[in-house]
Amino acid sequence: MSEETNVVAAASAEEKLSFFQTVQKGLCKFASWLGFGSKYYRSNKRRKKIFFDVITYVILIGFAFIMIYPFWWMISASFASTRSIMVGNSAWWPTQTAGEQYGDLFYHYGNVLTIANGSGTTLFQSIGVTLMFSLVPVTIGIITSTMAAFAFAKLNFKGKNFIFFYCLAGIMIPGPSIMITQYCIFTELGWTENGLSMIIPGCFGAIMTAFFVRQYLFGMPTAIIEAAKIDGAGYWRIFWQFVVPLAMPAIAAQFILSFIGSWNNYMGPLLFVQERSWWPLALLVRWFDQESSGSEQNAPAVMAISVLALLPVLILFAVFQKWILGSIMLTGSKE
Amino acid sequence: MEEHIVPADAEQAVSTEAEQAVLAEADALAEAEAAEQAAPQRRRINRAVLAENLWGWFFVCFLVIGTTVFVYLAFVLSVWMSFVDYRGDGTLWEALGQSNENGAFYWYKYMFSSTMPGLFGQAGPGGLENFGTSLLNTVFYLIGIPVGMALSLFFAALMSRDIKGAGAFRVIYYIPTVSSTVSVALLWSNLFGAGGTMSTLFNAQFINGDRWMQMLTVLILTTWKGLGGSILLLCAGMNGVNESHKEAASIDGANAWTTFWRISLPQLWPTIFYCIVTSFIGGMQIFAEPDLIYGNGITNAAVMPVTPFVGLIYGQYYTNQTYSYCSALGIILMIIILLLTLVQFWLDSRRDKV
Repeated sequence: MSEETNVVAAASAEEKLSFFQTVQKGLCKFASWLGFGSKYYRSNKRRKKIFFDVITYVILIGFAFIMIYPFWWMISASFASTRSIMVGNSAWWPTQTAGEQYGDLFYHYGNVLTIANGSGTTLFQSIGVTLMFSLVPVTIGIITSTMAAFAFAKLNFKGKNFIFFYCLAGIMIPGPSIMITQYCIFTELGWTENGLSMIIPGCFGAIMTAFFVRQYLFGMPTAIIEAAKIDGAGYWRIFWQFVVPLAMPAIAAQFILSFIGSWNNYMGPLLFVQERSWWPLALLVRWFDQESSGSEQNAPAVMAISVLALLPVLILFAVFQKWILGSIMLTGSKE
Repeated sequence: MEEHIVPADAEQAVSTEAEQAVLAEADALAEAEAAEQAAPQRRRINRAVLAENLWGWFFVCFLVIGTTVFVYLAFVLSVWMSFVDYRGDGTLWEALGQSNENGAFYWYKYMFSSTMPGLFGQAGPGGLENFGTSLLNTVFYLIGIPVGMALSLFFAALMSRDIKGAGAFRVIYYIPTVSSTVSVALLWSNLFGAGGTMSTLFNAQFINGDRWMQMLTVLILTTWKGLGGSILLLCAGMNGVNESHKEAASIDGANAWTTFWRISLPQLWPTIFYCIVTSFIGGMQIFAEPDLIYGNGITNAAVMPVTPFVGLIYGQYYTNQTYSYCSALGIILMIIILLLTLVQFWLDSRRDKV
């Protein structure tokens, strides 16, 4: 792109330019390279877009770095050998000499197993309990939620609207307001001693899940259900053979989101699980921190177990990110 | 038709009889046909409606039972429990049967009083001091919401530009949101801890600094963690902005800046409003992050200046087992959240009029 084509009024004003005007023209020329128009130069849409694209990328990549960096710090910290090396000196990678490094690089990941044994549960038992607390209530809960969603979206029964708003109004009651009462009820039932308090309530389904699957089902043609009905299929069969497969994208995304939510749940087990053998990972990690973060030698192990607790969820997210993000953008559910 | 072989002399009579019989039979047939046509159809409609009703109730019954027992029943018992004095001695049902000897509203009075005697071993007058401090802290933690909204609006606007790789950025920005709160909070307490990387970088005391720096650390954490969700919702909202409106504006000579403020933002407002309301509801219930980084203010009085409201409820439960007091605090929290939400909707309705 030659400057001559960009010049609008430059030639006529060429002869008598004050110092200020020269500077101004220079600045305008600079701006014209970036695509901005001025009284001397025409604007250039293509260059302008490139200019703003570059700025966009710089900002987005900069903040993406801020989003990712703590995780990198976490991983590098888990490879440090002592607390002072981990905290003070490891912006990118722990600076430690071979002498300071005891054991191999993964020493603290092995150390996690040893320390966890002192908690009254073990790491693997805790992982198993976490899986149980996540998989069982979420699987059963998503089925019951989808059943309710199907009824709300596609069936006509007496009191449907009342029941729907009855359920929806429940989300106005914040969890912390009723958690102490829930604790008392679960204690009376004996559920706080055997992990049932984290399993049974979830099996009845979640209101928000039902709500979002219902929104999804509204987009599904009712004619399919009518046709199935005419061909003699019962509602149970319609539900399993038509509704569930058709709503699979929504169900799967809600399943993964609920699974991640259950896996990361901290407050629930903190209140409702009293037996150490039923501690999920969140509580084990918390105990781990209280036990070893003050210790010079074991502090990096806290980061190691944090990485271990984080990893499954991140892998799950990486694999299913398309579904998850699609579902969130579709339904507007944030968790 | 049937053919009777009859004697000739009785032919006449029989024929009339037969005729009558035939006629009667035809009548009966017609009646039966009509009945057959009408009755089963009516029955079928009834059965279909009944089946749909029964199946409908069956399909929703789990959700309804769950909501009733674990939400509404718990809520009713919470209100009830706040008027009695249950401290974990005896069963819940026994305690609910007895009235509070200090008066039904004892716990509500206690929480707003600065003169009532301390609770159990806990020194200090009344519950007002802790109540006020924890509420103030919660409100301070809410500051992150407008900041986070502005940031996520900015990023959503950048991501919905016509650039390559916007999807990848969305995924990266969402990673903190899906990550475990416990892990991230422990990470924060090391990253921002004494002599940690961030303290060195900014030459400031974060976790071991004064009260406001401590709360600022939590604020950074919650903002960082919550950014991805609102960016996603706003991106979805931006996709929904009418393209032809934007085009019309640009033909009329509006630049990108004006188009954003005058066209995109008003159409995006419902999404923004939804994000703000849900963030405020969630923000009032903040508990895990300060609890994991600093501990609890009732268990350890030095932490009280950074303990949020739910931390106060948890601390009273954990340290003092004053379940009734916890329930009363929970009811107050619910009323605060409800009022806050109503105020937001009221402000939104005023915006429509203006």
